[in-house]
Amino acid sequence: ICRLHGRYHELAPNIVPMDYTNEPDVKLPIQLIINMPELKENPFKQRIVEAFSEDSQGNLSFNDFVDMFSVLSETAPRELKAIYAFKIYDFNTDNYICKSDLEKTLTKLTREELTPEEVTLVCEKVIEEADLDGDGKLAFADFENMISRAPDFLRYTLVRY
Amino acid sequence: VEEAENRETQDQDGYWLEDDSRPLKEIPLPMQGKRAVRDRRQMKIQIISSWESWKKSHLKSLKRFQLEAADVLSRMEVWKSSLHKIEGKFGTGIQSYFNFLRFLVMLNFAMFLLTAAVLVIPNIVFMTVDLQGWTLLNTTGMMENPDSKSGNCSLYNPTQEGLVSFYTYIMDLLSGTGFLELSYLFYGYYKDTDVGLTTAFSYNIPLAYLLTSLFYLLVSLIWLVRRSVQGFKLNLVSSDEALTNYSNKVFAGWDFCIIQEKATQLKHNSIHYELQMDLEEEAIREKIAEWTTRQKFCIYSLRLLLNLLVIGLLGASFFCIYIATQYSQILLNQDSVASSNFFLSLLVQYLPSIVITAANFTMPILFNIIIGIEKYSRTTEIKLTLLRSVFLRLASLGMLLFSLWTEITCAGDMDESDCSGCHYNYRRYPCWETRIGQEMYKLIIFDFITIVVVMLLVDFPRKILVQHCSCKPVQLWGQQEFLVPQNVLDIVYGQTICWIGTFYSPLLPLLNTVKYFIIFYLKKLTLFVNCRPANRTFRASSSNFFFLVVLLMGLILSCVPVLYSIMVITPSKGCGPFRTQQKIWDILPNSIEGLPRVTREFLFFIGSQAFAVPLFVLSCILLFYVVSLAGAYGQRVNLLKAQLQREEQDKHFLVKQIAEMGRANQKNNNNRVSFFSSLMKTVDKP
Repeated sequence: ICRLHGRYHELAPNIVPMDYTNEPDVKLPIQLIINMPELKENPFKQRIVEAFSEDSQGNLSFNDFVDMFSVLSETAPRELKAIYAFKIYDFNTDNYICKSDLEKTLTKLTREELTPEEVTLVCEKVIEEADLDGDGKLAFADFENMISRAPDFLRYTLVRY
Repeated sequence: VEEAENRETQDQDGYWLEDDSRPLKEIPLPMQGKRAVRDRRQMKIQIISSWESWKKSHLKSLKRFQLEAADVLSRMEVWKSSLHKIEGKFGTGIQSYFNFLRFLVMLNFAMFLLTAAVLVIPNIVFMTVDLQGWTLLNTTGMMENPDSKSGNCSLYNPTQEGLVSFYTYIMDLLSGTGFLELSYLFYGYYKDTDVGLTTAFSYNIPLAYLLTSLFYLLVSLIWLVRRSVQGFKLNLVSSDEALTNYSNKVFAGWDFCIIQEKATQLKHNSIHYELQMDLEEEAIREKIAEWTTRQKFCIYSLRLLLNLLVIGLLGASFFCIYIATQYSQILLNQDSVASSNFFLSLLVQYLPSIVITAANFTMPILFNIIIGIEKYSRTTEIKLTLLRSVFLRLASLGMLLFSLWTEITCAGDMDESDCSGCHYNYRRYPCWETRIGQEMYKLIIFDFITIVVVMLLVDFPRKILVQHCSCKPVQLWGQQEFLVPQNVLDIVYGQTICWIGTFYSPLLPLLNTVKYFIIFYLKKLTLFVNCRPANRTFRASSSNFFFLVVLLMGLILSCVPVLYSIMVITPSKGCGPFRTQQKIWDILPNSIEGLPRVTREFLFFIGSQAFAVPLFVLSCILLFYVVSLAGAYGQRVNLLKAQLQREEQDKHFLVKQIAEMGRANQKNNNNRVSFFSSLMKTVDKP
């Protein structure tokens, strides 16, 4: 945790206090967090920070910061990672991953190198594979069921600091 | 992010957290929420007995101790920072290869410690220290029948007479002859005796030798199986890959570990490439499904022909290996070769290794060409090529051993003139176990030399060429790609040789440890300097399972010659710890004779049919039970899936019904209102 605090402090040395006994209410804006070397190259960095911030604007207090790294660490259980991954991929925060969310995910993944028809095709296939209750969008239960069969999920959702 | 009111008492699925006893770590709330839950839990006054509270506190401290121990162990992991760097730059697929290499270094080192502690060090101590209290006894074994013709069998004198030139030393080092032959490196040096340490206890060298080798193979097997069970479970769960292919790639496709910009660009490219490949494969599959019968017939006959061609090619390479081994064995026994040109004799010594390596280089290229003609889908192509390469590697080793066997036992024909006296070819192989050990030793050294030479002469120049020459074909050829499957097959091949050879040469695990240690650093160097990351990434999870399966196959292959030579072939009469026995295995029954009566009876009972047959039947019953249980669970999963869909449809239906009833109610209300209003109007009218 001390190491994390060190990193948090590095991001904005003037604002972040070293002493937390008075429980100060300090939040770092999203721009500073996105530029951290561990997150800089991640296409989902915006969504990651927003998913962990209390006001869903992306401003992280130190508690949220620690939360984020603890979920993205090696010791976090799979269910927890799945819950937060669902939040990350849900762009419009309606608790469902609908087709537009999927399209945005895919665009971010491939940096817009797929043609629109291909994007639509892949999105349709994903919904076809994962949607269990047949409502055309993925609820958390569908997502969790699909993630449980993805062998690399745990290994890939890992950020080392 | 939860709304403020819901945060404290409910999580996403609506579970009430006060009654939930999940560990705090697993609760999906921000820190404030977790702190509130913890406070609330602590405030709850629970009436539990003192036994319960003691158990709880004990469990907690145990868990904490386990966590700390795991933390300390992970910090002591070797090469952790190197693996981390590789992961960051090249992704987890290539990192899994290095992980596998590290596991093999650990395995070999542990095996070396085992053999050294039980076998080599006691022998060194007994040889060098000559204490009065220790007596060298002779083992009981079948004494030689003095009037048989086997007087020549125990002639064995590998030491060289006269002036030995410097070249000979290098030759000996490279081929395990000369000064290395009669050393701890090979089987032939170990004595056939009991060493009486105290009046009650004696160290039986032959027994120790046999038990160590068997134990070594058993421990490797257990370790491998334990490691592969986890990968097997994962593979089983994600077994229907066709059903989760796309969602897997989209949701679990991005590797959060990558932090370098160039690497992320490559990852984007690779995901894009994979998705495109999948879509193309889908299109190809649809096209294949629409083939006419005539086209199908053509393709199937073409595939049959090409498979026969592959079998023919494999047969040809095996025949070459057989001929090369026989030729080199014949030439080695002629003195003219030994005294001639240094390079010529080196060539003769290494002839089998050279032929095997040449086959392992050229055959995969031919396989790649052939598979292109066969028109399978991409995944099937990859699997089939891999299967063929694995078979080639392991079977070429098997072929070498088979040709050695025909030499040593005169192809099983005991009446041939060379073999009739001692049941093995004593003229050419006065100490055949040492000779097999030497062949394995040469294979390991040649394998190592090949890897180093390929790196120096192919990878480095290729990179220099690509960097400095800007002509089109060279740029198109590009830098070397780090091909994980081929590299894995290389090290599995090396490990199989080590497993086979350890019985005949107890110090081979040490050699292998050093070899893999150096290879780790060399491969890391070549990865960072010469290679570019591949377009298709090798999935880490499936690859782990694949590595372990191939290694298991290698282990099983290596058990066969060792067990065969223990049980069937007569040991050499001129050397080694088993020289007075008919078969190497006989030392075990002989030693059991010396045990107390109860132990002896018990051991005989375990080995008899009265025990083995019921055990076998029981195992079969257990197997059937487990298989049917798995089938039942699979059916249950399908039923539940169907039920889930039905429930959702029910939900839609009910929602529609409610909406309609609401509308009907509304209409009724409107009717009633209009009825009353019209009634009012008529009442109002005077």
